[in-house]
Amino acid sequence: MAQVTEVVKLQRKVLAEVSRLALHDKLADHVEDILTTVVTEDGPRYRCCIHKERAVLKDRINVALSQPIGTDITEAAANALNGEVADGSIVRVLPEACDRCPIDKFMVTDACRNCLAHHCIASCPKKAIMVAGNRAYIDKMTCVECGMCKKSCPYGAIIEISRPCERACDLKAITAAADRRAAIDYDKCAQCGACKIACPFGAISDRTYIVQVIQAIKAKKRVYAIVAPAIVSQFGVKVKLGQVKTALIQFGFHALHEVAFGADIVTLEETKEFAATVPTDRAYMTTSCCPAYVEMVDKHLPQCGEYVSSTVSPMVATARMIKAEDKDAVVVFIGPCIAKKVEGQKNPDCIDYVLTFEELAAMFVGAGINLTEITDTLYETDASRHGHSFASAGGVMKSVIDTAGVLAPDITIKPHRAEGLGNCKQALQQIAKGDLDANFFEGMACVGGCVGGPGTLNDVRITTKMLETHVNATKTVMAPENQKAVDVIEKGGHWHKE
Amino acid sequence: MEQLVVEICAGTSCYLLGSQDLIDALETLPPDKRSKIDLRGITCLKACGHGPNVRIKGVVLSNMTPDRLLQAIEDNL
Ligand code: SF4
Ligand code: SF4
Ligand code: FES
Repeated sequence: MAQVTEVVKLQRKVLAEVSRLALHDKLADHVEDILTTVVTEDGPRYRCCIHKERAVLKDRINVALSQPIGTDITEAAANALNGEVADGSIVRVLPEACDRCPIDKFMVTDACRNCLAHHCIASCPKKAIMVAGNRAYIDKMTCVECGMCKKSCPYGAIIEISRPCERACDLKAITAAADRRAAIDYDKCAQCGACKIACPFGAISDRTYIVQVIQAIKAKKRVYAIVAPAIVSQFGVKVKLGQVKTALIQFGFHALHEVAFGADIVTLEETKEFAATVPTDRAYMTTSCCPAYVEMVDKHLPQCGEYVSSTVSPMVATARMIKAEDKDAVVVFIGPCIAKKVEGQKNPDCIDYVLTFEELAAMFVGAGINLTEITDTLYETDASRHGHSFASAGGVMKSVIDTAGVLAPDITIKPHRAEGLGNCKQALQQIAKGDLDANFFEGMACVGGCVGGPGTLNDVRITTKMLETHVNATKTVMAPENQKAVDVIEKGGHWHKE
Repeated sequence: MEQLVVEICAGTSCYLLGSQDLIDALETLPPDKRSKIDLRGITCLKACGHGPNVRIKGVVLSNMTPDRLLQAIEDNL
């Protein structure tokens, strides 16, 4: 979750306004209004002038509409209203907003002796270094942040300071481009969204499908909301799932399903898969439910790919079950996750759109729906404690261990887990090399697990606690006791990647 | 001792704009100050869009930030 700074507020106001206009059939003609309603003449400002502020806003609107940055916003609105989604990555740098972060990446410190050799000056390909006031000086306007000077200085007098987004990215996928704006290397990026939360200027954002979902609802399609188990307390500690369900129906969704149910299916399938393949076919197995983690393995440790469980994620399991029952269903996953948007694109057979909790709340606001004013109707979950616990780090691991105790009591599980992509990468490398004695590894990209995801609205500590209470109050204890999940699996279906 | 009633709007609009941060800020107050405050949740203060909103002594304060809330409490205690 991002702390709700003024920039975060502004981003959320844009999402709420886009929703409001789309719901009232005004987006096509009035999208330009957002420029004046969200950024007012006398309102708070984060940029040099109102023109710059509005230029940034146009980038934001394009991303909110899932259109290429730089598209004229009226045209972008028309495309989004037609259900169009531009190709390309989900996490984007907004070029207007990334104002060449004022942090100077390379800085000359007092350790500079103004030596005669001037290795720094000789090494700089842009001639950006000169001597001023008895020490080297880097001209920020010419510097392209290549780092040659730092390497060349024998006294280590030039230090590197990284930007917040670069620091946040465990996979070193962000660097400064030649124009000193941040650039994401998509060959390395796992689209986890950590950089979005870290940038104080709101210059990194993720594409949203808000308008496309609203259009599907307006076209009277049966739009199913499938909600991730991290939903506990997302809309305020007092708001219950029964209220969220009523709100979704008022908004026009056809039904609500819990992804925790799909997580029960996954627990059962993943346990069976483990028992069948470890250690006979492979030395260890690692989880597949976190798409950013799977993407990290894919891009950074491809040699470990075959050790990733072939079981689909809880999102895909839930969606496949719905599509099997209703082939015209439009399935919208709603969760804490940005990487799920990418996983959704890769599973077009069952996932139509992905929204975050933040986006859903903005849509409710746009529709004038206030969750706290809705009477709670008791919502009976159809998932077990296992399914709900997937939202929190360690949950998948424990569910599989418990379930193995029932389904395959003879096998030996040596578990290990990690949170954060950097930690996951390191641990998996150690397991692969045999330096770490484990045969089952849970990887979660977000610290705390999905309750700490970038699309959440509540603090990870609060949600973790609330989830624990919720898990303990759930009647069905284990996935193998969830008869409905067992039945769904028996009916047949595709619970594994080909 | 009479407590100061602080009503923080927890309606969806205010919540989206950061009312949780305001509640968290109050919870970080030292116990002697915190005990002087009667924190109440409220569902809407009819100023949605300018949130998060707080009502202290009948006055609705809009666009609240944790810092400004703590200041307002200081001024009213
Ligand atoms: S891996 Fe995560 S933090 Fe790094 S660039 Fe991609 S989304 Fe941002
Ligand atoms: S931990 Fe959860 S929220 Fe974070 S990237 Fe993985 S699936 Fe998404
Ligand atoms: S939701 Fe807070 S004023 Fe309406």
